[in-house]
Amino acid sequence: MKRYAYINDDGPSQDLYRDNRISNTKYTVLNFLPKNLWEQFSRFMNQYFLLIACLQLWPLITPVNPASTWANEREVWVVENGIKKLIQAQDIRVGNIVWLRENDEVPCDLVLMGTSDAQGLCCVETSALDGETDLKTRVVPPVCMGMDPVLLQKIKGVIECPSPDRDIRRFDGNLRLFPPFIDNDVCPLTIKNTLLQSCYLRNTEWACGVAIYTGNETKLGMSRGVPEPKLTAVDAMIDKLTGAIFIFQVVVVMVLGVAGNVWKDTEARKQWYVKYPDEGPWYELLVIPLRFELLCSIMIPISIKVSLDLVKSLYAKFIDWDEKMIDRETVTPAHATNTAISEDLGQVEYILTDKTGTLTENKMIFRRCCISGVIYGNESGDALKDTELLSAIETGSPDVIRFLTIMAIGNTVIPVKSKNGAILYKAQSPDEDALVQAAAKLQMIFVDRSANILEIWFNGRTIHYKVLETLEFTSDRKRMSVVVKENDTEKIFLLTKGADEAILPCAYAGQQTRTFTEAVEQYSQLGLRTLCFAWRELMPDEYHEWSLVFKEANSTLVDREWRIAEACQRIEHDFEILGVSAIEDHLQDGVPETIETLRKAGINFWMLTGDKQNTAVQIALSCNFISPEPKGQLLMIDGKTEDEVCRSLERVLLTMRITTSEPKDVAFVIDGWALEIALKHYKKAFTDLAILSRTAICCRVTPSQKAQLVQILKSCDYRTLAIGDGGNDVRMIQQADIGVGISGREGLQAARAADYSIGKFRFLTRLILVHGRYSYNRTAFLSQYSFYKSLLLCFIQIFFSFVSGVSGTSLFNSVSLMAYNVFYTSIPVLVSVLDKDLSEETVMQHPQILFYCQAGRLLNPTTFAGWFGRSLFHAVVVFMISLNAYTYEKSEMEELSMVALSGCIWLQAFVVTMETNSFTILQHVAIWGNLVAFYALNFAFSAVPSSGMYTIMFRLCGQPSYWFTIFLTVAAGMGPIFALKYFRYTYRPSKLNVLQQAERMGGPILSLGTIESHPGTIEREVSPLSISQSKSRSPVYEPLLLDSPNTRRSFGAGGTFEFFQSQMRLSSLYSRNCKDN
Amino acid sequence: MENPDTSTSTSTVRRNSKRPKYSKFTQQELPACKPILTPRWVISAFMLISFVFIPIGVATLFASRDVVEIVDRYDSACIPANETDKVKYIQTPGDKPCNRTLRVPKRMKPPIFVYYQLENFYQNHRRYVKSRNDQQLRDSKEANSVSGCKPEDYNNGSAIVPCGLIAWSLFNDTYSLSRNNVPLNVSKKDISWKSDREHKFGKDVYPKNFQSGGLIGGGILDPNIPLSDQEDLIVWMRTAALPNFRKLYGKIEVELQENDVIDVALGNNYNTYSFNGKKKLVLSTTSWLGGKNDFLGIAYLTVGGLCFFLAMVFTVVYLVKPRQLGDPSYLSWNRNPGWH
Repeated sequence: MKRYAYINDDGPSQDLYRDNRISNTKYTVLNFLPKNLWEQFSRFMNQYFLLIACLQLWPLITPVNPASTWANEREVWVVENGIKKLIQAQDIRVGNIVWLRENDEVPCDLVLMGTSDAQGLCCVETSALDGETDLKTRVVPPVCMGMDPVLLQKIKGVIECPSPDRDIRRFDGNLRLFPPFIDNDVCPLTIKNTLLQSCYLRNTEWACGVAIYTGNETKLGMSRGVPEPKLTAVDAMIDKLTGAIFIFQVVVVMVLGVAGNVWKDTEARKQWYVKYPDEGPWYELLVIPLRFELLCSIMIPISIKVSLDLVKSLYAKFIDWDEKMIDRETVTPAHATNTAISEDLGQVEYILTDKTGTLTENKMIFRRCCISGVIYGNESGDALKDTELLSAIETGSPDVIRFLTIMAIGNTVIPVKSKNGAILYKAQSPDEDALVQAAAKLQMIFVDRSANILEIWFNGRTIHYKVLETLEFTSDRKRMSVVVKENDTEKIFLLTKGADEAILPCAYAGQQTRTFTEAVEQYSQLGLRTLCFAWRELMPDEYHEWSLVFKEANSTLVDREWRIAEACQRIEHDFEILGVSAIEDHLQDGVPETIETLRKAGINFWMLTGDKQNTAVQIALSCNFISPEPKGQLLMIDGKTEDEVCRSLERVLLTMRITTSEPKDVAFVIDGWALEIALKHYKKAFTDLAILSRTAICCRVTPSQKAQLVQILKSCDYRTLAIGDGGNDVRMIQQADIGVGISGREGLQAARAADYSIGKFRFLTRLILVHGRYSYNRTAFLSQYSFYKSLLLCFIQIFFSFVSGVSGTSLFNSVSLMAYNVFYTSIPVLVSVLDKDLSEETVMQHPQILFYCQAGRLLNPTTFAGWFGRSLFHAVVVFMISLNAYTYEKSEMEELSMVALSGCIWLQAFVVTMETNSFTILQHVAIWGNLVAFYALNFAFSAVPSSGMYTIMFRLCGQPSYWFTIFLTVAAGMGPIFALKYFRYTYRPSKLNVLQQAERMGGPILSLGTIESHPGTIEREVSPLSISQSKSRSPVYEPLLLDSPNTRRSFGAGGTFEFFQSQMRLSSLYSRNCKDN
Repeated sequence: MENPDTSTSTSTVRRNSKRPKYSKFTQQELPACKPILTPRWVISAFMLISFVFIPIGVATLFASRDVVEIVDRYDSACIPANETDKVKYIQTPGDKPCNRTLRVPKRMKPPIFVYYQLENFYQNHRRYVKSRNDQQLRDSKEANSVSGCKPEDYNNGSAIVPCGLIAWSLFNDTYSLSRNNVPLNVSKKDISWKSDREHKFGKDVYPKNFQSGGLIGGGILDPNIPLSDQEDLIVWMRTAALPNFRKLYGKIEVELQENDVIDVALGNNYNTYSFNGKKKLVLSTTSWLGGKNDFLGIAYLTVGGLCFFLAMVFTVVYLVKPRQLGDPSYLSWNRNPGWH
């Protein structure tokens, strides 16, 4: 559906679209209640609590007496009825002209109409939108260029724009002004002509624009989205256990209900003092079961949800606070956006990682190049110091100069002169930045870009170029071109750079591209990123003819991207290939160690990258991702057709099955094309492969394929963690169980969408091994303990019902029951968030111990059965001892109830003590302070004459028999558990116990470490892999790696279109400039 | 575009402020004590428990054995032999006297407590235990608050004081004791809790409409005596948690000698026959731990003994089969690198 924004039209058309109010996208006033209730009650636990709450309201059976929109009120200048007015931002309507001053925040999505700049340019900071800190230029559409500000207030016209979407890099609109204003021509609009909500106007005195999207329909509002709530494996397990307890409870209630009714009819009728009426109401039979239902309702602790939410938010805080996860370089602390899934971090089984910017620093440095067959920079490893290249520049070799020209101006970089005269470059992609910087060092200095005129200094000469067209980079075209006119000679050139497979096939007939292919091969084996450079001189006629086509393509609304690609295709051919550049992307610090440690912890790694296969494999080798021969083995899945892919897939699967028994690191490599076919037609085989393979490298994958891969692993019930830094990782991050974003150079898009954001890849170790592991351990204890203490009290109530005529009498009074759950027992266990079973150092040295968390060893039906048994045993102990110690003349109801309750409180204090591994002062305060608080509180209750407990606690504490009973309860309850624990700990120790003992005995823990130190820098890893040595690799390795000539798809000018069309559908909204080349 | 530098510096400042404050708590580095279960530690703990528990057990057992207790079950004995229908007999109005003789087995020092013991009587039944109104008992102005007292709340439209099943079923057997034909004074004073007399039962609350309905449950109350002085009622209304319980009837303040014979003239009024409940008369002295109860002593001796036994077993096992704690060879991944 198209929308039409009528400029300055105050008529009814304004009301067609919504106003600029922004609301919480999840709820509106109307749907808040039903939607929220639905969400709440879709959780089983909440349904249960609702049922109990309803029953509590029925006095007959109760055993004891018992919404957002936010305004957008900032004021902005808007033209209304031809007059400038100050109105609240929320009242902006589509079609209004909004005026902004320097440093104003853009209140809604606007199409730029005028600026203070004579050439119609203005600068915006988009960091709030995409996290990129460089300034971007925005330009007034040509028809409005140079219009008088007074005239702008009266301008009328219509803007045709697509329905609201979330793509912040794309806007395909058209502008037509109405007759009094200039011609009736349609003017195409792109993202370059827009000011998007939440951006800031910078370095421009004023700007004005027409509102096109408002409120939640802005690009920002649409991309906010509603993320799916993530449920951790631990939560799922707790829900399952809750269900099991519920079934147990129903059984208990039914048995007791039947027994109660039988006892009533046989015995209670004889007990005249109970005075059972002969005729009861119709629901008579239900009364006793329902009473028991309420009596047993404490079996499922309400407090568990509150406690869990509390400790989970503390886990998240610990991550935020962690000093050891602050990136010192950029001073970025780690941050947990999602506070509810920390336990999942400890259960990760697969990590899917992006390459560029995640494993590498995304700090590009120009290293080598190959210009017209001459390779520079191979000896020194730095082309900038290569004397041959420098002398070639001296002598003015035309190919070299053209190569440098493309490096300097074949881009969208903006040079900015700083105060001290130095030139800073504002580049949107780090590759372009590296190229421009390198060109500047090689005497080709890009000085200024004002409007369409580019200024270059070369060897003291100033050269001016006029930019005629810019054919922008897309991840499908994999190249970008500029059409420039040299001012002195009036010659028109097409300058292109891009991926080898996008450039080399377009060479003019007869050019030898073999040397370039070899250079590309060689560079990518070194893990360098390559770009090919090409140029062609255009005849003026050819250019003019083409520019009409291009203009038309630019102003289409339907399939504009595809039409532009088609138009570009018409001119990008018959290139003269100039050379290949190689850019190095440093590995981040500690990446190999991080991967090594996490793999030891049993986590499998998949690398998903848009990069070339060879580059990806080399990076994978250098960061311990895969092992070199003979320990490791790479299996290639490729093929262009379904059959080829199928065969290759089956072969790899077979090899994989054979080698699973061998202690060998087997990894498979697949590229985007084969992956597409595999996912479409051989999903099952591929899923089998995914289960078998511990390591995989997927190259040239699109963002949606990344998300699909996550989905496949999730469907096999693996816990997945996706880590990335760029916009193209957002979908994978959102899809995974845990999304981790690296807040790095590529902006904050990934970090925003992620559950956790960290500064560097290496912090992943700490995030998983320390925070994830502790969170899992703590939650496992806390949740099972919560069930234990509730069951304990409930079992006592059940036992008591057998001595109270199965009538459903509660032994404990309502105050005690309430305080027991929310106060007496929840505080000591809350400090278990400080518990550490092993020190951080021990875990880092023995990452294998994470297995206990991954396999869910600490929270599963078996461990839960242990806690269930413990609560049953303790209930028997408390009940039998209190009953027998307080018999006959002492068996007063209130007294016995307090004796039993004290027994429970003491036992639970000792249970927490025994399950705590490390005691800090806070734990002592909470555990023992809670006991003191229990007595203080009950003394207080006992001092109130109107309470049922009046004087009870004072009487009890004065009796020696009370204290003897309590001590007996503790000794009888804890003794067997203590003995059993000691026996297991000493004679059947788990690996966890062994490490604990080793750590605390101060023994030879350090000598246990099997982790060797690894050379950390890429240089030491890469240099032995130089070309001469790579040929001497063992034969097993070579065929597998070099089995890939057919992966490089060769498509000529004709074949490319089909490729584009099919790729177009795959391409995601998040494709990122120059990221994938 | 002159200020890109300032913008980066402001963003650095902003990020700096996000940086958390350092403290041992936020870094989870609070000094902690991490105990481990070493054999020495565990064995001494068990030894300690046994050394503490066994003497306590002996002491409590002696205390319990010191208590002299006379228990006489009289419910079936007090039914004339020719009565076949016990329930009918007990429900007939009029005196049902009964004489019992007790022999003192051992010298009993005052105070000697006289209890009645009921068995199979569910004072803890849910219908029963809640059938009372504490406000009404405490405050004369609240005579009409009878909520929760059903079905003993109103009698012919006027509120019953004290209302509810508990009061209605007040125990009403009477005992008069005599030794060698000399009456033994059984003091009924101060047999209830002082706190109950002073704060739970009002000094100006008098029984009203009590036991005047069609069906008479248990004892009747003198309407001229305030509730705070009706100590039998106060004792009765401290409901027992178990179906077998004793309640204080009175106190004897004189010493009873060994082989003294005590004659008890019983008024057998209370109906326990319809539910086969037992009625017993108990005379008992008291120790520092209360009445006769061997449970604590036996339990302490058992637990102490078991702890001693465990300590011995652990010591033997420790000596016979010592095991090094934290032995790295138990980490399987050190033996087999492929462990997962």
